[in-house]
Amino acid sequence: MDPRQFEHTVVADNDIHSIVMSYLLHNCFNETADSLASSTGVKQPAIDRDNMERRKQIIHFILERKALKAFELTEQLAQDLLEKNKDLQFDLLCLHFVELICAGNCTEALKFGKTRLAPFGKVKKYVEKLEDVMALLAYEDPEKSPMFHLLSSEYRQQVADNLNRTILEHTNHPSYTPMERIIQQVTVVRQYLTEENGKDAFPPFSLKDSLKG
Amino acid sequence: MENGLWEVLGSKGLLKKHEFIRILVQCLYSLGFKNSASCLEIESNISYKSADYEFLEKQVLSGDWDSCVAVLDRIFDHSKDDTRNTAVYLVFKQCLLEYLKRGDVSLALNVLRKQAPMLRMGKEKIHRLACDIVYSNEMESGEVDSCLVQGLRKKLLVELEKLIPLPIVIPERRLEHLVETAVMDQIDTCLYHNSWDAVSLYKDHCCGRDQIPSETVQILMAHKNEVWFVQFSNSGKYLATASSDCTAIIWKVLDDNKVELKHTLESHQNPVSFVSWSPDDTKLLTCGNAEVLKLWDVDTGVLRHTFGNNNTGFTVSSCAWFPDSTRLVCGSSDPERGIVMWDTDGNEIKAWRGTRIPKVVDLAVTPDGESMITVFSDKEIRILNLETKVERVISEEQPITSLSISGDGKFFIVNLSCQEIHLWDLAGEWKQPLKFSGHRQSKYVIRSCFGGLDSSFIASGSEDSQVYIWNLKNAKPLEVLSGHSMTVNCVSWNPKNPRMLASASDDQTIRIWGPGKPNKPENWLYNQKP
Repeated sequence: MDPRQFEHTVVADNDIHSIVMSYLLHNCFNETADSLASSTGVKQPAIDRDNMERRKQIIHFILERKALKAFELTEQLAQDLLEKNKDLQFDLLCLHFVELICAGNCTEALKFGKTRLAPFGKVKKYVEKLEDVMALLAYEDPEKSPMFHLLSSEYRQQVADNLNRTILEHTNHPSYTPMERIIQQVTVVRQYLTEENGKDAFPPFSLKDSLKG
Repeated sequence: MENGLWEVLGSKGLLKKHEFIRILVQCLYSLGFKNSASCLEIESNISYKSADYEFLEKQVLSGDWDSCVAVLDRIFDHSKDDTRNTAVYLVFKQCLLEYLKRGDVSLALNVLRKQAPMLRMGKEKIHRLACDIVYSNEMESGEVDSCLVQGLRKKLLVELEKLIPLPIVIPERRLEHLVETAVMDQIDTCLYHNSWDAVSLYKDHCCGRDQIPSETVQILMAHKNEVWFVQFSNSGKYLATASSDCTAIIWKVLDDNKVELKHTLESHQNPVSFVSWSPDDTKLLTCGNAEVLKLWDVDTGVLRHTFGNNNTGFTVSSCAWFPDSTRLVCGSSDPERGIVMWDTDGNEIKAWRGTRIPKVVDLAVTPDGESMITVFSDKEIRILNLETKVERVISEEQPITSLSISGDGKFFIVNLSCQEIHLWDLAGEWKQPLKFSGHRQSKYVIRSCFGGLDSSFIASGSEDSQVYIWNLKNAKPLEVLSGHSMTVNCVSWNPKNPRMLASASDDQTIRIWGPGKPNKPENWLYNQKP
């Protein structure tokens, strides 16, 4: 889309700083947030620092293959959150099961699977994924199994993001940042314009391309 | 013995002797006559279990899993089909569970990871095994209960038996199955079959007329005019009749199947042409083409409620109950009234009115309360699923006069003025109905019903003053019962007594029909004086 069509639209620096700030706080980049505040003078919204520290730790634990610690810390931070969000509870327990198998601790994995994961097998929506997770037991090298995606950092990141959003929601904070919402909105609007006016007038939107400038 | 393989039994030469003996041996074992069975095996030199199966049994019971897989491969001729894979999977499952029982997790995982993949049973089955060991309750270390293990191994054998091809294994209880099939085939060809008591292995099965109601055993004469409707209650303990004399009568069916008058229901100003029993038999509805709907207490005969009144002209042609005995539905021949659902206190729950609702000829509700079947003036049947609101329409080519639903709610019949009865399935799988004919119907409303053992029969009234009975397997009448002197308007088969039928006629009587008896005593007909 030709930038000349929108370059006269004024965007205040302060708004951009606020958008970036909310993104940093949402994702627990608190030191970067402090740095941004001191260099731009943008006000930091009132946010529970303790909550942010805990969230940061939880995300860190998930990414560092310590899902059970993340589980315990989440329970401390928001007591009934995982009890209410069975999907998240299931994802965290699956991650721990995967960690045990990757560490070669199969006896422990079996015990954990029986006590903590097997009950989810009674709920239809979990059965397929549960069987994928359990099937890892059949492989000496889980990395070479058809379920290798369960070991990927992308998968862990996805679980961490979901948990982070849920904690924010639980503590009455928005679960999506303004930055995400703006990108989502632009994507949808551009998609709509492409469909309505044809690809020549409005080529399909690509976030990657627009970031290149 | 070689020659014995080709020996045959029976007049048609269809039965191979060695197969027959093998099945006999199996039967003796399953009946618990082990000595007789092994004696027959020795004497005939024919073993119930094939050598391969005996070997497999030995390996399973001793827990030699490698040999089990080897013999399974031999049995399945080294093919890698899914049945073979399932059999191998079951063996491995047992093997893994036993290792876990002994607390040998590393050995179990070793088998799962190294041995199982070598047997090419497919990834899916190996993944299934992984799940099985997580889901299992085994994982103790120490002493293993050998009785329990043997029990599990025997269970495994039963499962494997179902997968192993013939003739290595004979299907369970084969002789019983063959005999039962033969008996069922004989029953299927027996048009009079109406009682399980009549089945014996000592003779070929064939029922006679005495199995169905074919003789008048009682004539009820309490009505003073034409009798238009008759219906047994759901328990079979009562009978209700409706007449153009503006009354309905509740009759009691005694233990000896004699029928006696219980209550005469007098309140209608016009002929009564329809009655309907509540599923719990405590209440009775009565109505007529020019009449309102009335609710009666069966025990006392007291009128409990009149739905609408004569002034508003809410005439009801037919009605039906829902299974809870607290809700009912009625249809009017007046399109503006349509179809109304009430509770027993007369509160309107729901109504179907308007241009889409023509004159209602007859209606019924399925025993499960899920669907309502309505016959609209005068050739249309609509089946409405009351939960999903999905409606199916059947269009007949001739006017329909009445509707009746089978006891299990799977089928219904309609009488057509072209002298045919059409049987439809409720599920809507049939493109065409089954058709029954032979009776007379051109001018009047004639009603039919299902009846007999498993609703195997249809009975119908007729304008030639006779009652017609068909077996569902045959389009032509099985029996034509004479006795009435004028049009038979309606029939009802006792739902709890397959040999009892009632018919209502313009000759002002109700006839009770029972099984034919060889010698009838003089006082066989029992007159019920008004």
